[in-house]
Order: sequence, then C-alpha cells, then structure tokens
Amino acid sequence: MTVEVDIEKKFYGRKNRKWKEKKPSFSMHCSFDTDSEFAVLFGCSGSGKTTALRCIAGLENPDAGTIRINDKLYFDSKRKINLPPQKRKIGYMFQENALFPHMNVRQNIEFGLKGLGFMEKASRVDEMLGLAGIEELEFAYPGELSGGQKQKAALARALAPSPEVLLLDEPFSSLDTVVRLKLRKELRAIQRRLEVPVIFITHDPVEAFTMADRIVVFDNGKVQQLGSPEDVFYHPKTRYVAELVGFSNLFDDAVVERHGQRDECTFLWSLGTEITAPYIRRMAGDRVSWGIRPENIELVNSENAHSIRKEDRKNLLNGVIRNIVNKGTSRIMSLKLKESEAILNVEVTNHIFDSLKIGTGEECMVRIRTSDMIVF
Amino acid sequence: METLQLIISPLLLTLKIATISTLFVAVLGLLIAYLLAKREFPGKRLADILFTLPVVLPPTVTGYILVLLLGKNGILGSIFFAITGGGILFTWQAAAIAAFVVSLPLMVKTASSSIGAVDRSVEEAARILGRNEFETALFITIPLAKKGIIAGCVLSFARAVGEFGATLMVAGNIQGKTSTMPLSIYGAYQAGNNELANLLVLILIAISLITIAATSKLGEQ
Repeated sequence: MTVEVDIEKKFYGRKNRKWKEKKPSFSMHCSFDTDSEFAVLFGCSGSGKTTALRCIAGLENPDAGTIRINDKLYFDSKRKINLPPQKRKIGYMFQENALFPHMNVRQNIEFGLKGLGFMEKASRVDEMLGLAGIEELEFAYPGELSGGQKQKAALARALAPSPEVLLLDEPFSSLDTVVRLKLRKELRAIQRRLEVPVIFITHDPVEAFTMADRIVVFDNGKVQQLGSPEDVFYHPKTRYVAELVGFSNLFDDAVVERHGQRDECTFLWSLGTEITAPYIRRMAGDRVSWGIRPENIELVNSENAHSIRKEDRKNLLNGVIRNIVNKGTSRIMSLKLKESEAILNVEVTNHIFDSLKIGTGEECMVRIRTSDMIVF
Repeated sequence: METLQLIISPLLLTLKIATISTLFVAVLGLLIAYLLAKREFPGKRLADILFTLPVVLPPTVTGYILVLLLGKNGILGSIFFAITGGGILFTWQAAAIAAFVVSLPLMVKTASSSIGAVDRSVEEAARILGRNEFETALFITIPLAKKGIIAGCVLSFARAVGEFGATLMVAGNIQGKTSTMPLSIYGAYQAGNNELANLLVLILIAISLITIAATSKLGEQ
C-alpha cells in the first residue's frame, strides 16, 4: 500500500469566523507518506492526528493539498478532485464503535455490502463474524454487547466491503487493559491474515510501539518525526517527541564544552558538572538539551564508590531521594541532585529496589551511560 | 337526527383537515427539519425564526397574514384564482392551510432536535460504508430519530385538530363547510346549546386520549 498525504487545513474560532480574521485558531499542515502495512499516527490529543485521518476518509475537507492512496487520487485541491466518503474504498473504526444501534450485528455488517446478491452477502457476513470471533453474537443488538464485543463487531463491519485501507481512530482507548491487550493482538493477526494496510491512531506510546511498522509523530498539526518504532523511541529528534516517548528526564541547561578525540563524544556542562554525551555537531558554547529515560539510569553502590576505576567515574551524579512511587512492577524515585538541585527520575525494578534497601531521604549515586543519552 | 348531523359533520371535517394538514406537515416538516439540523446555509437563522414564528404569533395574527396571502389579490390567492377560477378563502382547504401553518413549527422543532441528536459518527460510518447522504438519512438518521419525528407528527395532528383562531379568520364558521369541532363548540356555546357543546367536548377529549395512546404505542416499537 502507498499512502501519500500532503494537506493543509485551518480552523477558525467562532469569533474569528465572524470577523473574518486571518489568524486561524489551529492550523494543520501535515505531509507524510508510508508504504508500510501498519502505520501509527502518534501524538497527544489535539495534535491533529484525528483531523488527518478524517481528511483521508473524506469526512472533512482539507483547505489545500493532495491525498493519494494506492495511486488513486482521493483529493486534489488544484485539480478540484474530492471523492465523497462513499466513493473512497476505506474502512473506518471510530473511537466509540459507531455501530447502528437499531440494527443487530449481522445487519450492521451487511450494511456496507451494497450490490451483492443475497447469498454472497450472507456468506461474506458469516466470514466476517468468524474472523472477528463473534459468530454467537450475530443477532445481538449493539446495546447488548460489551465494549470489546462492540469494537469487534465494528471491525467486522469495517472490513466487510474489503477496503483498500483500514483507518482506526483510537479504537481501543475506552476499553479496559485486559481487553485492550487482547484486541491489539487480534487486530494485528487479522491485519496479517487479510493483508489489509492499516493506519492507526493512538496517544499511548506502548500501543504505538508494539503495533507499528512505522510511526508518524504529530504535534500541533505538524509531523514531528517519521520512522520505525525503534527510531522514534530510541532516537527522538525533538524535545516534544522525546517527552512523548518517555524521556521524562530532559535538561535544557547544557552548554557544549568541547568535543572528544576523533569526535567520539561531546563534553557538556550541565547539572553543575561535566557530562560526557554522544557526539553532536555543535560548536563549543552552544546551548543544547539532553535527555535520558528513567529506566536507563544505573544505580551505583556508593559504598564502593572509591573503588570505581577512573575511566568509569564519568557521568556519576549524587542526589537525595525525595520521594518514591511504586508503579507496580517498578518504582520511580525522584532524586534531587546535589550539584544542581535538579530533579532526576530514576526507575528501578522492584526486584532491584528491594535488594538495595534504600528509602526516602537517603543519599544515592547514579550513573548516566553516554550511549543511553539523547542530545539535540 | 339533526344533533347527530351536527356532531358527525364537524367531526369528519376536523379529521379530514387535520389528516391532510399532518400529511403535508410530516413530509415537508421532515425535510425542513433535516435541512435545519444537518446543513449550513446562508439565511439558516432567518429560516429557523420563520418556522418558529407561528408558535409565538397570536393565531389571529397568523390568520390575518394568511387572509392577506390567500385573498384574491394576495400572492397565493391570485395564483389559486388563476388556476381554479375561484377563491380559496372560506373553504375547507383554507382551514387546512391554516392548520398546516400553525402546526408545521411543532414538527420542525421536535424533529430537527431529534435529528440533530443522532450521533454524527454513526452517520459518518454509513457514508464510509458506501452510502450517499440520502440513503444515510433514510436508513440511519430517520430511523434513529423516529421517536422525535413521531412525536412531532402527533403534536402537529393535535394542534391541527384544535386549531381555532387562524381557521376562523381564513375559513369562517360556515356550518357543514368550514365549521370544525372547536368552531362548532364555540358556536354551540354561543347559541346556548350546552348539550351539543358537552358532546363535542367529550369527543375531542377522546380523540386527544387516543392520540396520546397511539404515540406511546408507536414509540415503543
């Protein structure tokens, strides 16, 4: 599948529209193309990802630009092409299932099979019921279904007309964790079986990471980064993306001191100490930001600190534990650093935490591995 | 025998006028309600006010405006005269038009609010599943807004049955021709025929009760 989207859309607040002001309250300009099987549009709410999806489906009209799917032009503002939603071969799953409440599951699935004969329709519906694993619910009405069952029915309905692409707008966000995990797996399995390309929206980093072949990160109506899950999660290019994918330790106070020999690293002055960071092409004296994931910070046993070899003494930070939050499988400790008063979040598994026997108010030494840092 | 005639004639006339008026109200009112609920167009607010006006206006004012429009020199009256060679004022058709005008807003208001309350994403789902706007309205929006639409029809019917002021203005109170139930009650009361007035009142109450019962039955289905 190839999806090429390059669109612009401006939204005007009520007052603006009245006064015909030129300044829009929200402006979206997104451009991305993907030929992957499972693309995820990722970003927080209000970032424009749903608008982009709705434009692809034809539910909203961009102000300008082009939308092309599998070399078929769906929208082109210059050539005045704008296919209505019913002419685009698209499957769409809404956040809140959007099943027809006055029809049972079978009728819901059948609704999109216009033009097929009676027998063909029936067998296609049976096929879809089987695919979604809801054969026994065929005569149930949406009001009688659980949240997970509703979304399965909605998926079966969306897939019945064999769409060229399936668009999903946070379809699992209102479900509980157990059902959500199960449905994610089932969706992925169905997608592989039917080989139908999917564009999926989520604000959940775990969902984005586990489902996607390719991630498109949205913020404020613009595409911030585009790449494989590993790319986006381990090498975020901007501060916004870093924050979104879980770099909760971000520091903007760093200044480039000098570069290491043969440019294998860059020395930064940050947090009141010298930090050895991965090489960055910036001049000495430039301000930069750096970050690290809380789970990548290494605890160092301070008792044998004196025995640490000299070359391992870089990037060691001392702090006092201010508070500890138990996340269930791990604990997040807020460390107030001695040299700079900055707060560093450190995540340790409960297993390690229990063996350390440390608590609030105690001193603690941590190491930041250069290879785990991001600098931009 | 004559009393029976005095009851049957206004009863049938009222039912005829109310039924015909409600048929037109149902079709036209639904269309207007749909457009007001779903479409954005210039002058929408004005249209909204115009369709609400007859509820607020005193019926005699509505009736007076209708007299101006339907009179031989009026816009509608002159067209009617050119086609049929007769006047429309003081006929049962004029009474039906009066009933239509005063009851249309009830249908438009009730139906458009229930059409507007239909979940947008459900309609969008239908569009994406390959249906055009008309099919979506027919199979999804209208069935889901059914209760409000039925309620609008019933209210309009009840309003048409009870119409008095505007009808008196445009159709007069001609016995056997334009004397509907409410007008007959008024006439009987004026003439001191309380017996007849009582009977007519009882019948109107019965019609009202049947309408309410029918609505709740239809709404359940």
